[in-house]
Amino acid sequence: MSPPLYIALRFLSHRKRALLLSLSGVVFGVGIFICTQAQTQGFARYFIDSTIGSNGALVIRSRFRPRYKALMVAAKSSNTNAAHRLYFEGITDANQIMRVSRRFSNVVSCSPVLRGQLSARAGFENATVDLFGIDPVLHSQTTDLLHELIAGSFDDFRNNTSSVIVGSRLAEELGVDIGDTVQLLSPGGEYWRFTVAAIARAGVGSIDSTRIYSHARVAQTLLQKPFGASMIIYKLRDPDRAPALANHFENLFQHVSTSWQEREESTLQLFLMLRVSAAITVSLIILLAGFGIFNVLTMSVLAKVKEIAILRSMGYRRIDISAIFLWQGALVAAAGSVLGCLLGALMTWGVGHIPIRIRGLLYANHFLVTWDWRHYFWATVLAIVAVFIASYVPARRAAELAPVVTLRGSSV
Amino acid sequence: MNGSVCLSCQAIERYLGEEESRVHALRGVSLDLEPGSIHAVVGPSGCGKSTLLYILGLLDPPDAGRVSIESEAMSHLGDDELARKRNQLIGFIFQFHFLMEDFSAQENVMIPMRRLGRLSDEAMRERAAVLLGAVGLGDKLRRPSRHLSGGEQQRVAIARALANDPRVILADEPTGNLDTANSERAFELLQNIVQQGQKALLLATHNPVIAEACDWIHEMQDGRIIASHPRGQRSLGA
Repeated sequence: MSPPLYIALRFLSHRKRALLLSLSGVVFGVGIFICTQAQTQGFARYFIDSTIGSNGALVIRSRFRPRYKALMVAAKSSNTNAAHRLYFEGITDANQIMRVSRRFSNVVSCSPVLRGQLSARAGFENATVDLFGIDPVLHSQTTDLLHELIAGSFDDFRNNTSSVIVGSRLAEELGVDIGDTVQLLSPGGEYWRFTVAAIARAGVGSIDSTRIYSHARVAQTLLQKPFGASMIIYKLRDPDRAPALANHFENLFQHVSTSWQEREESTLQLFLMLRVSAAITVSLIILLAGFGIFNVLTMSVLAKVKEIAILRSMGYRRIDISAIFLWQGALVAAAGSVLGCLLGALMTWGVGHIPIRIRGLLYANHFLVTWDWRHYFWATVLAIVAVFIASYVPARRAAELAPVVTLRGSSV
Repeated sequence: MNGSVCLSCQAIERYLGEEESRVHALRGVSLDLEPGSIHAVVGPSGCGKSTLLYILGLLDPPDAGRVSIESEAMSHLGDDELARKRNQLIGFIFQFHFLMEDFSAQENVMIPMRRLGRLSDEAMRERAAVLLGAVGLGDKLRRPSRHLSGGEQQRVAIARALANDPRVILADEPTGNLDTANSERAFELLQNIVQQGQKALLLATHNPVIAEACDWIHEMQDGRIIASHPRGQRSLGA
């Protein structure tokens, strides 16, 4: 053990109240930082998982071709892709696109979807619904639909082309349950009757309140579409790389490709803003803890002026003196970080068990938290940086103390 | 003053304070300390005794003049090197003993040894115990320094000054805070150490009995050594 560390330990252990004060600041700062990050990211993570699980990590939709006229006259304001393209609804050759895209290592599976807006009626209740005409097998491989079912049977849906899966909030709105009939109004003005085979809950309000799944061929007839798929949704091995793949697919297939990050940009920005806001608030707590340590160490330097002079007279260098106080800060930061991480984990666990009824953007019955080592890492880094800055000034001040001034003050 | 010299200073000048309060604390002080000798610096308060000790102990730089230890000039050394020399070659004893309150007697003696870093923890403990035994505190090794009496604390300070076996011991009023019996005991202890270890001791004192018992007495006044006498000749020279 180095002499400064040895002396730092002794100084700390003999100032228990000051040590406790400094330590508690760091412990609470780190703990609260971890807990708030776990909460804010918990809701964001749940949203991301749900939206990827239901709508895929990447979606290909409308075909486009370049608008040649725009290429001839390049207007300054028309620098976006949209201004240079002509769009055509639907996927021209879904099977070929899927066959090619499956060769990409990041693609796990893909599923064609024929999508359309319809009116639904059940009893006296009406609602506008978002119809997803799907291939049951491919869709169950590509999305979390199987896990989202809260009532009924997926096999009943697969084996019965005149059956549908209804979103949970839509089912509540229409007042339907398993085995009930839902009528969908075709663009031709005819009502088609379907049996509710299952009810699904994605956990995202906008999906659960509008979504109905039917068989693709039935949907094509019902919606009177000339094409079999209006989009292809993808399940990816690494969803974080979706933007790059979307860009590649767009150039390759000449179809609009959208990653989940682009699709949910506004919601993700909201979550990010909440996280940053919480991080700033909690960082202030850690900075306050650092200020507390600054005060404690400054008082310690003042209280140990005599000891510093003794140590200097015995041959301790300035760097040894500053190391004694930096070590005290480092020990507080280390112990505070470890205890703070434990407190953070405990608080996160506790918060995760608080019952709360959320029925808006997300569906949840308790606080959503996420367990991420990076929260602990960054909380620790923040604590160490704050404590180092707080310790540096008193340590430097201690090192600059002239021992003779102290000694002369005691003997003339 | 013949023979080899442990510590030497020549023409030391030192000013203290700033502007109007500036004082010429030392005016051309020169001194040589030989191994095995005890020198006393006497004089009224404020005559520059402590200032001289701090300069000789490499704690305070002189404004002019030169300090040498074992024939090596110290003037050109940097702060870290001076600290190393202090740790290796000089032992300080202060009037108010200046022990580290959070440490036991044994740990106080070990502090200079830790900085030197030549001994293992066990060897340091052993040496500290031997030194404390030599000053009569062998049974109070683990006692916190603040729980020792004034005399005991000064003996711990003496043991601590000897921790790294320094060549020079500088003592600023080492008995100034002790009663007569403890003063005599502490001085006898220092005498034995100096003679047995062939060290040089310079002490600043107001105690005439102790000063008379030293090999040399240097009388200071207004920052100057106005007279230096070998033992027993002070009255002749004065």
